[in-house]
Amino acid sequence: MPYIIRPLPSWAQSTVLNVTTYDKFLPQEFLDKFQKDSGIKVNVRLTDDQGKQYNLLAAEGANPSTDMVTVAGHRYSQFISSNLLQALDTGKIPNWKNLNPAYQNAPWARVDGKLWGLPILAGYEGLAVNTNYVKDPQSWDVMFDPQFKGLTSYIVSDFMTITMQYLGFDGDFVSYTDKPEEALKATNAARDHLIKHKDMVRKYYDAGSEVQQMFINEDIYLGHAWSGPAAKLIADGHPIKLSVPKEGTYGFCYTLNVVNNAPNAENAYKLLDAILATPDVGASMQRQSGFASTISGVPEVLTDIERAAGTLPQEQVERIVFFSPVNRDMKNEMIDKATAEVKAA
Amino acid sequence: MASNSTLVRGGAMPAVAAPAYSTRLPALFNSGLYQSTLGALVSNKTTRMVLLAAVPIVWIVMMHIGPIYQMLKISLLSNYPIQHGRAPTVTFANYAIFFSEPLYFMPLIRSFVYATSATAVTLLVVYPVAYYVAKIVQPDRRSKALLLLLVPFWAGELIRTFSIIMLLANRGALNVFLRDVGMIDRPIPLLYTPFSLGFGLVYLISLYMLLPLYSAIDKIPKHLLDAAADLGAGPFTRFRRIVLPLSRDGIVSGCSLVFLTSIGVFATPMLLGGPTTVLFPETISGFFHGASDKWPVGAAFAMIMLVSALTTAAIFMRIVGGKSTRLM
Repeated sequence: MPYIIRPLPSWAQSTVLNVTTYDKFLPQEFLDKFQKDSGIKVNVRLTDDQGKQYNLLAAEGANPSTDMVTVAGHRYSQFISSNLLQALDTGKIPNWKNLNPAYQNAPWARVDGKLWGLPILAGYEGLAVNTNYVKDPQSWDVMFDPQFKGLTSYIVSDFMTITMQYLGFDGDFVSYTDKPEEALKATNAARDHLIKHKDMVRKYYDAGSEVQQMFINEDIYLGHAWSGPAAKLIADGHPIKLSVPKEGTYGFCYTLNVVNNAPNAENAYKLLDAILATPDVGASMQRQSGFASTISGVPEVLTDIERAAGTLPQEQVERIVFFSPVNRDMKNEMIDKATAEVKAA
Repeated sequence: MASNSTLVRGGAMPAVAAPAYSTRLPALFNSGLYQSTLGALVSNKTTRMVLLAAVPIVWIVMMHIGPIYQMLKISLLSNYPIQHGRAPTVTFANYAIFFSEPLYFMPLIRSFVYATSATAVTLLVVYPVAYYVAKIVQPDRRSKALLLLLVPFWAGELIRTFSIIMLLANRGALNVFLRDVGMIDRPIPLLYTPFSLGFGLVYLISLYMLLPLYSAIDKIPKHLLDAAADLGAGPFTRFRRIVLPLSRDGIVSGCSLVFLTSIGVFATPMLLGGPTTVLFPETISGFFHGASDKWPVGAAFAMIMLVSALTTAAIFMRIVGGKSTRLM
């Protein structure tokens, strides 16, 4: 990147913290209070894409322009293996005990025996439907039902893993380690299935706001959606229902991570501790993003409607499998190529 | 004027009474410091040209050629962003991927088809508008008419794209109107189709056609049209024999600008297009947003698009415009 348009490197300052995160993940009132209490000025840079964030961080190398990044579960191991993050020292976070115990030692959160980030919001890939037009679907099959031709939408790369699972393959590639032929066969089967049913799709989308807009405008009646944007629509009173079909789906967690060589790492720890201080912060994050907070006590702070928007029946919760950190390179390589093929077809 | 001429030649400023608008400049120009520095520089014609050209040249190099050169460099690397312990090698493999994978041809061909169609439609739609403003509207009202046409372009590309979404969505203004007047009982799927993409492209880039066309048509002497009418030429003959040939430069410039702009647009196809309208810029962006080490492939594809688009535009300009045609 030409120097003139390259972001300036972050300088070590006792009163500054540079955070890269998604829009609405860090509530403004929380940031205002944190800045006032700590005297640390928080500069928030928004991101909308994990790949873009990864590439920029990798390009900056030993001189990162940000102290903290927000990493999604499916990219977690990629950031770690590229040496872009530093392991988390929970001893520097007195309020660590306030993190929901289910997340304190989650298997996916530990890589090489170390914790690498603070889980802040959890979500899953669900089937969202407009209840005025689609009644209680039980299977991903409905996404390929001709009566909804031209009325579905999905993120191709995300739905590729769901389709693999729907067709009976391992969409997370965990069982394909050292078996590239099997993985390719499974990926190609999902790719061909999506190309064959391309006429079902109104639009391939990229951002959560796009699928929200399509549901509101009734351009689509059903679609694959992250739980956050869908739950937000439900909480806002739209006739949307989110479920996990019988074939199952994948869950993920967003973590706030301290960047390797971060100049203001100590300030980053102060922010992490402040996030965990009270359930109010977690509730506000859940309210704004739609994703479920990982902080203990948050459900008690939410209203009934907000709680219901993010709640699933127990049997559907059990169908969610968290993305694994295993065999990511093979998965990224094959899914990226198949995604390009589906779009180009 | 006399004192300005003297200044340009580098001589001393005459000791005349200071004009009312300035009392300090003559003293500055006569100062020894000025005479030995900037004054000495501007007294030389070549140096004067270099000084005047410096800002635009630096601008063009830094903002236009620099990023393209950087992209060319990345396209020849084996891996980028460069990470510790992974020194890249120079390779043409990223270009070879395009030619070895037939799947990438279709988005590029699609981009050319949409860009060509949008250019043709824009020309047909905008030409009468430009003619109307340049030749029919009274001269004292032309600037107001042009201003009215340009106002929408002051809003950004994204805002105008979202306005099209609000217009064409299933619950958008057009479908609601058609339903309210009883013409339809179910919404017509207009958005996320080839129609919405084409509509959006024509709307968003018509400015690039309007201005060159207006400029060319405005220069056509009115007495030529009057003379042709006196000699019995009808409106169509006057248009075909006089207006069209004399506005050729505007047509070539407008078409080239619209084609080159529409082939590279990114946000509009992403927001207005459907599953069958994925264009090449979206394919390229996939490499930059995907897993690591794909920047070189994305950069190579961007260079392929740049070269093919410029070649197409150059061929068009040479065939239609002749040797003397320039872009602006």
